[in-house]
Amino acid sequence: MKVGAAMKVGASLSLYGDVRTRNDSAWLLPKAPGFPHQLRDDMRRYDETDEVDIVIVGCGAGGATLAQRLARAGWSVVAVDAGPFWDPETDWVSDERGSHSLYWTDPRLISGADPVPMGSNNSGRGVGGSMVHYAGYTPRFHPSDFATLSNDGVGADWPISYHDLRPYYEHIEHELPVAGQPWPWGDPHSYPFQAQPVSGNGDVFINGCERLGIPVRVGPVAIANGRFGNRPHCIYRGFCLQGCKVNAKASPLITHVPDALAHGAEIRAHSHVSSVLIDEHTGLATGVTYFKDGVERRQKARMVALAAYSIETPRLLLLSTSKRFKNGLCNDEGQVGHYVMVQGAPQTAGRFESEVRMYKGPPPEVSSEEFYETDPAAEYKRGFSIQNVSPLPITFAEHVIAQGHWGEALRDYMRDYVHWSSLGSLCELLPSYENGVTLASEADKHGLPVANFSYSMCDNDKQLIKAAQSKMEQILRAAGATETMTIQRFAHLVGGCRMATSAKDGVVDDHLRTFAVPNLYVTDGSVLLTQGSANPALTIMSLAARLADHLVGVSRG
Amino acid sequence: MVFIADSFRGRTPGSRPSRFPGFDVLDEVDRWDAATAGVVLARLTPSPELSFFTGVEQATAEALCDHLLAQHDEPRVPVAALIDVRLATGETDGWHYADMPEDGEAWRQTLAFLDDDATQRYGTVFGELTKDQQAAVVQAIQNLKTQRWHALPANQVWSLWTRYACTAFYSHPWAWNEMGFPGPAYPRGYKNIGLDKREPFEVAQQ
Repeated sequence: MKVGAAMKVGASLSLYGDVRTRNDSAWLLPKAPGFPHQLRDDMRRYDETDEVDIVIVGCGAGGATLAQRLARAGWSVVAVDAGPFWDPETDWVSDERGSHSLYWTDPRLISGADPVPMGSNNSGRGVGGSMVHYAGYTPRFHPSDFATLSNDGVGADWPISYHDLRPYYEHIEHELPVAGQPWPWGDPHSYPFQAQPVSGNGDVFINGCERLGIPVRVGPVAIANGRFGNRPHCIYRGFCLQGCKVNAKASPLITHVPDALAHGAEIRAHSHVSSVLIDEHTGLATGVTYFKDGVERRQKARMVALAAYSIETPRLLLLSTSKRFKNGLCNDEGQVGHYVMVQGAPQTAGRFESEVRMYKGPPPEVSSEEFYETDPAAEYKRGFSIQNVSPLPITFAEHVIAQGHWGEALRDYMRDYVHWSSLGSLCELLPSYENGVTLASEADKHGLPVANFSYSMCDNDKQLIKAAQSKMEQILRAAGATETMTIQRFAHLVGGCRMATSAKDGVVDDHLRTFAVPNLYVTDGSVLLTQGSANPALTIMSLAARLADHLVGVSRG
Repeated sequence: MVFIADSFRGRTPGSRPSRFPGFDVLDEVDRWDAATAGVVLARLTPSPELSFFTGVEQATAEALCDHLLAQHDEPRVPVAALIDVRLATGETDGWHYADMPEDGEAWRQTLAFLDDDATQRYGTVFGELTKDQQAAVVQAIQNLKTQRWHALPANQVWSLWTRYACTAFYSHPWAWNEMGFPGPAYPRGYKNIGLDKREPFEVAQQ
């Protein structure tokens, strides 16, 4: 085990005190693994005719964070989720194939010149959302991400800047909490927990970068390096992408939902929202309809927030038609469902003489953001980041299959699994109006039209991905790889209901309020205008925390 | 103590000599958590009476999957039976390409097309062909890449077959044995991480 020379202890554990004034979740969890059943049994339950202060659709990064903040401020909150209310101890398994229920597997169509497969890679289901099975990387966006149009002539400028989000980044980093070495890129900052020890996979990445003079750091990973409240230390089990049974890796299920429950929020699971209700006279949202156990029900509310992510939030708006909104709610300007973005995410594996056994240790370990910003010497604009990834057997088989191997060749490569190490890139692909969600003729089990997600890359996108692949190959070769293989893929989802300064350019304003309906908000990744080369979870949670501050401030005058 | 019949222990697919001598994932089963042990051990004994595939489809699916995974000898990981369990319960990935049918229907159609190809070339169904003949039929489909095979994009058919086949095969303890992968790791975890570091239950590759 070896970490870079720059490793230092970040801020001290005294920050616990500060966290607990905002969020007590880690202290509400049981000392043994699992979810606090008493808190769940005692959960406040609203009647559907009660008019609650807010109903939130979706209980992942955006929805759970907003629910926790508003419940703590005394609001009556119902957060509705289509999937289960998980118990990590009994519902999740230490197994790749057995984790299928963590993904959104309702029907969806994918199309375009570069269709984006969904499922395990970029969708979630149930309380905690896709953060239940994300790797755990929680980088901030760079200040440049908020003004790519002004700076680079591509993408879009946000109506807010990095500095509007910065205090919320700091808050959420302490609540997850995030472990990592002091961060030199973007807006330089430190992390509340010092970096985790790294495994063979991380060693390979650090060795390769040191030989090439590429700066590299351990983190930023939302796994405390030590105990945090009642959450135990990581056991280096390697199954972060299958849901953390240990409660070591952060997800809203354990970082925000317990505190929300303790402050009177109701989490209504297995409830699939089918429309947002609008009063035709006032033009205000009055609640939602949802399917539970096959029956359509409704929940009245004074305010509605959508947090169903980049495919389901646009789909829900498009499904919510009325006399006033014939083309879908908030869609007068044809903006709903557009500018959906994914990151190019090629993964390159290298074969080493040593046994790497990349399945040991958390998949998120080491990153470099050295190539994140536009390189003036390059043909393309914007950039990419590089991070460790560690495919388990089924995913590694996809790598081998992607080389065209099958039969005996496939089996031979797989028998050599312990010698392979793997890197992944996140490439900033540019937003395009044409990329996004429409309703298909096919329907789901409730009879609701499903989403068709169409995606095509532009030339800048393809050049970036090529550059990223070549950099990963160089790093692995420098570390001693005798052979490399790359699989082309995509990661993450953002956009689809983007933030803007006016209704003709987007769906929500700089406080995430829809232009069309004054008491309807969107608080998930779909509001993002650009995506940088950063994993989006921390930014989505920070935007939700900022919205909560705004709503509480307005309500208190 | 979890009961596992001896015939399931210490096996590799096709009884090939292991590059990890003596390594058996199932030796550690008593250190797995109950939820995980339940789903993993169920894969050892899927019902041989399939419920999604018809008899004709079953024969073709078994031949295709065993061919894609080079399973030419006993014991075999029951790949087609494990796929059948998924399709019978509708446990698909949900998404499908707009120019492909949903996964269950796509399996039915493509197995029928495979028999059509085999019959046209060799006068009998795919499952009845020799190993070399099967290889020729399968390779011809992979070679089409983005071109159409019957009405469907060949690369997306290839993706469907290999995704389901590899997911079934590489979720089976016998496949893990031949890779040196120890499988479930909760609540045990790992203590020795780093290059060339091993746990007492891991075996060096020969």
